[in-house]
Amino acid sequence: MIKFKLYYDKDDEEVWLREMSLKGWAFKKFFMGFYTFEPCEPGEYNYQIDLLDNWNGNKFDYASFMDGVGVEVVDQWWRWVYLRKKAVDGPFEMYTDVESKIDLYRKIINFLKIALVIEVICFFIELTATIQTGNLVLGIFTVLLGAISFAILKVIWKCKWKIKQLQNIERSNQ
Amino acid sequence: MDNSTPLTEALFYILLAVRTPNHGYGIIQDISEMTDGRVVLGPGTLYGAINSMLTKDWIRLYSEDKESRKKKEYMITSTGREIFKNEVKRLNELVESAKKMDEQEMRK
Repeated sequence: MIKFKLYYDKDDEEVWLREMSLKGWAFKKFFMGFYTFEPCEPGEYNYQIDLLDNWNGNKFDYASFMDGVGVEVVDQWWRWVYLRKKAVDGPFEMYTDVESKIDLYRKIINFLKIALVIEVICFFIELTATIQTGNLVLGIFTVLLGAISFAILKVIWKCKWKIKQLQNIERSNQ
Repeated sequence: MDNSTPLTEALFYILLAVRTPNHGYGIIQDISEMTDGRVVLGPGTLYGAINSMLTKDWIRLYSEDKESRKKKEYMITSTGREIFKNEVKRLNELVESAKKMDEQEMRK
């Protein structure tokens, strides 16, 4: 089964993949918003999504490390990796302390900032082209790019908010 | 070494778990046992901690079994032991200070 969805927030995406697993659909592949699912036992897997440190870093090292601790790398999309663990093998949370959770959100913010700059540059190129030519198709693209840029900006804000919440927990623990 | 302490709980326990050569899964298990299941490290937390400690030379790669990809073993270095010793000293000082305060209050 293939489903099309656009997620900007990986936490929401994780929840959805878990819901799909509970309905008996195991996530297998991701491509440009298209999610491929295979039948599975309802609730068989728990999913987590992680962001690799860099583009071409030691993917093999990462995958073999995860394999060693009972976690399967299902698919990779750019720097994003989809991971799963059988529910019978216990709870699955990639980041378990406040420090590493904050590190992850910081990494995501830095990654999204690059994406945002690229989108905004494209937006202005399209905007100029639309104004100069009055072409409707270009205009549609401009609006689309604007919407994507805004969505990315919103997730950056959300990540910043999450870091703030985590820092409050950290402070109250001390 | 300046901003290495206080250690996070994860770093503290990982350093304890690699006194003898240990691999990822073993580290998670050992820490869970030491803390009666209170601290169960997530794979991402452990992976990040191991890489940062390898860079800082607190731990080193002890052995790599090419046959089974699972067996990459890590072990504490002398720098790591030094850091750990300093942290234990700091923690002891905290506990000692608290005890002294308790005793003073009891006497009143």
